Amino acid sequence: MSEIVQSEPFVMNIGPQHPSTHGVFRVKATVDGERVVDAEMVLGYLHRSMEKLAEERTYTQNIPFTDRTDYLSSMSNNLGYCLAVEKLAGIEVPPRGQAIRVIMAELQRLASHCMGAGAFANDTGAWQTPIMWFMREREKILDIFEMTSGARLTCNYMRIGGVAFDLPDDFEEHVRALIGPLRETIADGEGLLSGNEIFLARARNVAVIPQELAVNASLSGPMLRGSGVAWDIRKADPYCGYEQYDFDIPIGYQGDAYDRFIVRLEEMRQSLRIVEQALEALPGGPHSTEVPLALRPPAGEAYARIESPRGELGYYLVSDEGPSPYRFHIRPPSLINLSVLKEMTVGGSIADAIVALGSIDIVVGEIDR
Amino acid sequence: MTRWWTGEELAEAAERLVPGSVARSTATACILEAEHAHEALRALRDDPETNFAHLSNLCGVDQWDRFEVVYHLQSLERNQVACAKVEAFDREEPSVASVVDIWHGAWIQESETYDLFGIRFEGHPNLQRILLWDGYPGHPLRKDFLAMPGGLQPGLNEFAGTAAKPEPPVRPVT
Repeated sequence: MSEIVQSEPFVMNIGPQHPSTHGVFRVKATVDGERVVDAEMVLGYLHRSMEKLAEERTYTQNIPFTDRTDYLSSMSNNLGYCLAVEKLAGIEVPPRGQAIRVIMAELQRLASHCMGAGAFANDTGAWQTPIMWFMREREKILDIFEMTSGARLTCNYMRIGGVAFDLPDDFEEHVRALIGPLRETIADGEGLLSGNEIFLARARNVAVIPQELAVNASLSGPMLRGSGVAWDIRKADPYCGYEQYDFDIPIGYQGDAYDRFIVRLEEMRQSLRIVEQALEALPGGPHSTEVPLALRPPAGEAYARIESPRGELGYYLVSDEGPSPYRFHIRPPSLINLSVLKEMTVGGSIADAIVALGSIDIVVGEIDR
Repeated sequence: MTRWWTGEELAEAAERLVPGSVARSTATACILEAEHAHEALRALRDDPETNFAHLSNLCGVDQWDRFEVVYHLQSLERNQVACAKVEAFDREEPSVASVVDIWHGAWIQESETYDLFGIRFEGHPNLQRILLWDGYPGHPLRKDFLAMPGGLQPGLNEFAGTAAKPEPPVRPVT
């Protein structure tokens, strides 16, 4: 006797409190059996209206807000905001300040990708071992941040015109001690995962983003490079003297979750190269220029962007010559990378949707702001 | 190095592609006429010389007398960035044409701009609040959001346009 089992779609909530959503984020997935037929995201659980708050505070007072947008890469956020204010006010940063910024931004990229790659391995079922290895290395980077800025997560280290304090005396020694073990950990992680049959089955050809869609949907960072577009703002529009350093842009070929993972691992190696070169050529001199505390930039607008670990992080500022920005807008890479979530998940299984979400490497503090 | 276009350069290109589409230009941005903006933006994306295939940023600005929608257009192949703006003057019901059919990634940024500024994007496939909840009174990034009726301050239970927190009902003692 044969019987046809009829299935009908039903709505399933993934999140907001679920480890695989990487924060307080919810996907309303309509599933038919095991297939996802529609995916709608629900945002705003972490909305703190930073853009409105920033309109009431001075330019310097806004720096700590940027720490709390993308809390896994606060140094990059500080940097993007300071660059936008410097562009608006026409402030030059001394060479030592620029080199320190580059070192900090790259260490932050390493810390963030450690988290991103480890969490992605977790999402694909490589439970705990890779993330433990990566977190062990990330811990050392956070120690260096604590040594330099006094904080581990919300560093608040960059200032308009440079950085808050000069590097401590034993900074270079600690960073050099970190580089070797981190290289080994990356190789270990890659050796464990990249050829692993289970990992390949989970990540290969899952959540494919074709190149045209990646460009058309304004994706950036590893999402764009994973789809084969060699676009990195550090190369295309160098800031803080990135043109002095020798590094490569890794790209993927298929645009699937696996490619994005591999791009992140390779970016970590390139970041280590940049850190080494920057330490080698660290110039002397002041680490910051004198900037008035109540800065009043001339009326106008400025848009500055950097390559944050998650992609193109832009700050759009409008000044009306007042002490606080007239308009303060963040272009959050996580939010815009999420705009293709439906294209990535519809048609796949629920398990693939988790992998797709993990491969975007979202930070919800940045999505909701 | 990225070439950052001045407003005049973008105005020249837009005028060449769609005559009559430019309202005026400033040092940094080119302001497009609202009725031709959609056509001009599409032409700027498709023209091989401008090639703005990547919409970098979309946001709104409240200038009191008008709303601006700011587009930062980017070309990955030619490595150039330009800034275009479209203005909406109606303070009650501001609306501009949606560009979701030109750049797919615009939908999420347009939803956010609608949520926080109340600017309607005509032609958006699914325009609804994205960060705040449905029924939230007002659009918080508008400059007059703090000027609330009755002198209310933002805070728990007291938002613009809402009445004060109702008194709990008095239950008779049984």
